[in-house]
Amino acid sequence: MSVAVAAEVTRDYSMSGGVVHALRGVSLAIEPGEYVAIAGPSGSGKSTLLQLLGGIDLPTSGHVEILGTRLDSLGDRALTRLRLLRLGFIFQRFHLLPVLTALENVELPMAEAGVPRDERRERARSLLDYVGLLDRAAHRPVQLSGGEMQRVAIARALANRPALILADEPTGELDAATGAGILALFRRLTADGSTLVVVTHDERLAAEAGRVVHMLDGRVRG
Amino acid sequence: MLLALLIAAQLPRVAVERRLAAELTLRVGDTVALAATAESRETRAVVGAVFEPPPDPAAVLRREYRVRLHLSDLAQLLGTPDRVDRFGVTLRPGVSPDTAARRLNALAFGFRAYPSTAIAAESSRTFLVVSRFHRAIAVISIVASAVFLLCIMLLKVEERRADAAVMRFVGVRRRTIFGALLLEAALVALAGSVLGTGIALGAGALTNLYYQRLFETRLVFSLITPSIVAFSVALSLALGLVAGALAAARLTRTRPMVLWGRG
Amino acid sequence: MIAGWGPRSLARHPLRTALSLAGIAVASAMLLDMVMLSGGLERSFADLMLTRGFQIRVTPAGTLPFDAEATIAGAGTLRAALRGDPRIAAAGAVLGASVFARRGDSVVTLFAYGVEPDAQGIYEVETGHDLAPGDTAGLLLSDPAAAVLHAAAGDRVTLAARLDPGTAGAGGERTFTVRGTVRWLYDYRGQRSIGLPLRTLQAMTGRAAEDRVSLLMVKVRNGADPDAVARSFRGRFPRVAANSVTDLVAAFRVRMLYFRQLAGILGTVSLLVTVLLVTTLLTITVNERLGEIVTLRAIGVSRAHVVRQVMAEGLALTLLGAALGTALGLATARYLDTILTSFPGLPAAFSFFVPRPDAIALAAAALLVTGTLAGLYPAWRAAGAPIAATLRAEAT
Repeated sequence: MSVAVAAEVTRDYSMSGGVVHALRGVSLAIEPGEYVAIAGPSGSGKSTLLQLLGGIDLPTSGHVEILGTRLDSLGDRALTRLRLLRLGFIFQRFHLLPVLTALENVELPMAEAGVPRDERRERARSLLDYVGLLDRAAHRPVQLSGGEMQRVAIARALANRPALILADEPTGELDAATGAGILALFRRLTADGSTLVVVTHDERLAAEAGRVVHMLDGRVRG
Repeated sequence: MLLALLIAAQLPRVAVERRLAAELTLRVGDTVALAATAESRETRAVVGAVFEPPPDPAAVLRREYRVRLHLSDLAQLLGTPDRVDRFGVTLRPGVSPDTAARRLNALAFGFRAYPSTAIAAESSRTFLVVSRFHRAIAVISIVASAVFLLCIMLLKVEERRADAAVMRFVGVRRRTIFGALLLEAALVALAGSVLGTGIALGAGALTNLYYQRLFETRLVFSLITPSIVAFSVALSLALGLVAGALAAARLTRTRPMVLWGRG
Repeated sequence: MIAGWGPRSLARHPLRTALSLAGIAVASAMLLDMVMLSGGLERSFADLMLTRGFQIRVTPAGTLPFDAEATIAGAGTLRAALRGDPRIAAAGAVLGASVFARRGDSVVTLFAYGVEPDAQGIYEVETGHDLAPGDTAGLLLSDPAAAVLHAAAGDRVTLAARLDPGTAGAGGERTFTVRGTVRWLYDYRGQRSIGLPLRTLQAMTGRAAEDRVSLLMVKVRNGADPDAVARSFRGRFPRVAANSVTDLVAAFRVRMLYFRQLAGILGTVSLLVTVLLVTTLLTITVNERLGEIVTLRAIGVSRAHVVRQVMAEGLALTLLGAALGTALGLATARYLDTILTSFPGLPAAFSFFVPRPDAIALAAAALLVTGTLAGLYPAWRAAGAPIAATLRAEAT
């Protein structure tokens, strides 16, 4: 069974200047263990596709399935729960909670999922170790560099052992050297069996992917 | 009938205040029975007049009604002939009331003379206390409003972080941004004080309407004078400008990238 | 504590949080003062009335205790009727009158209470002794009276009931021996009051023949309802006013209407200021943190969690402000009380602002509810923000 399926999805936005067709009938299936890069110029609809796959937006037509469940059949609560337990998100601007330490940021999704305190603390520490930041566990985001913050965000995305990790321009805010570190981490994730969909402009990141989906004007090209 | 009229003509006259006349449905010419205490002998009197007492803040909460009788009639009613509470004395022009009172007190035994100003000061002590209380409450309110205004202005200016960042990116000078933020703060403070004055006038009118009806009086309970309005507007403008200037100075000192959230 | 990320966010902008806290502290101080004022007046009055456990006052019809110079005739008959009622434990009469004492070549006016020491509810002995049964020449002094007369226990004092300006002489003069100093419960500050046996004062002021008194104070037995006793007494003696402390508090409430309404209005304004401050602060901080909040929503944090955190932030702000406000409120209440208790003629034992635990609890509860409600709008905005659209806007 595919981890994620987009079937003929369209997404229109009403703007002041009229309707914008961000996606014009895109179909895509992500298989377990795949590393898929979605590439394309700005405005091609790649971030919109990622948001639809992640259940944080719903298509105007067509549908999206995660592990065989159609997202349009779920209410807000069930959809939120699915994002919490089945999906992991990594954002361009990290979006860590500045008042929490690195460890607490990683713990947060597990706390929300009801994982007992000791268990989640231990897992958060092992995840920080996995991304190479165990020694920074007690630091707050403001005390971390951009690359470190993104590593914490990756550890947070892995917290509830998601079936699919979605990353939106994960190296967009990082310099080349720091971006290379993230690249290595993604390589390791894939090697460990994670399923990964990355939206990126970064050609190095796309080159690492098992499959690259090129998008233009809301359609998959070629 | 004639006999009744003759008897009525010999009865003492009493003037009753309007509220009492309304409550007891008394009219001029009606006969009433008066007594010094609940158990003492009654004396009949004729309502000679209905009067409106001057508005008196001291009496407003005391639900007492007033009647006026000739001194001799009242003395007879009370059974205390030739006893009085006080004498009013008018002095010849040029005589100082203080000197006259001092001389009378030197001779006095069993009474005491006071200049009218001393009595006025004594009887207005209650209102002095009330006005001191109001002043204290006003100070607390002003402190609360000042803090509130400072806080709102700070938040209002901080909302402009992104705008300030963009202005700095395109090369607008700090001084220009500071001026714009200060102008905005002044306009907000001015609009707020105009609105506040409107609310105060409305609330004052409602307060007067309510208490004048409640106490059946023409007393003015809430008085908003031009000087009070001027003081409030000036204070809120000054506070608004100070708060706006502090917040704007903080904002313009911050690096544009930090304002933009990428610092 | 991961769940505390909302309240912990208050530390991100110390200046604005400090200012908001100061605003809430002043507003909650005002609220506390007003709650104390509105409830304290009546409580203080009722406590004062019940100081010595007398729950009913019998006064001339249409008056309140010492409200007028009117008196009740035939006090003995009334007292006998009262003492004959099995529900009544004690009944004592009091007469109030002005008397005079010479001090050098001047005359001092004193307020005299004619009392029955075996059933009195208006004084407490401070030094020396109370008047003994059958004592007709004993005298009790308040501190101000003792000071003006330069007298202490054992001293002799001559008092006159009348002064005649015509003959420049005093009438009804008698000499008394000071037995002790007492605190008159209903005296205003500095009042020169003295106490004499009731029958003696009646005789001095020409009120013995009709057995006139200013009021009778009644204590009912345990289990009896003072209101019902007062009611039945009013039915039996329509020419006097019998009021229980409940009745007197009701009459007092009418007279103190202004203060209660002022307290109500200012208390409401304080709550509104608190709501405005908390709502404004939270709305702006939530707007600033919308990116973070929708990210949390994106990674699976529920709306309810977000609502709880934002509301907890509001509540933490209110609680901190209220804690500061309580200290400030108690200090300002003491200051305001010194202003208002300087009202001329007010019993010295009376307070306008009574710092009772229930007043503090009521103000705290009102603030907690307010703080919680104030967080509702920003919490609703935070939880309801569209995730995808906000992330798109954040990315640009």
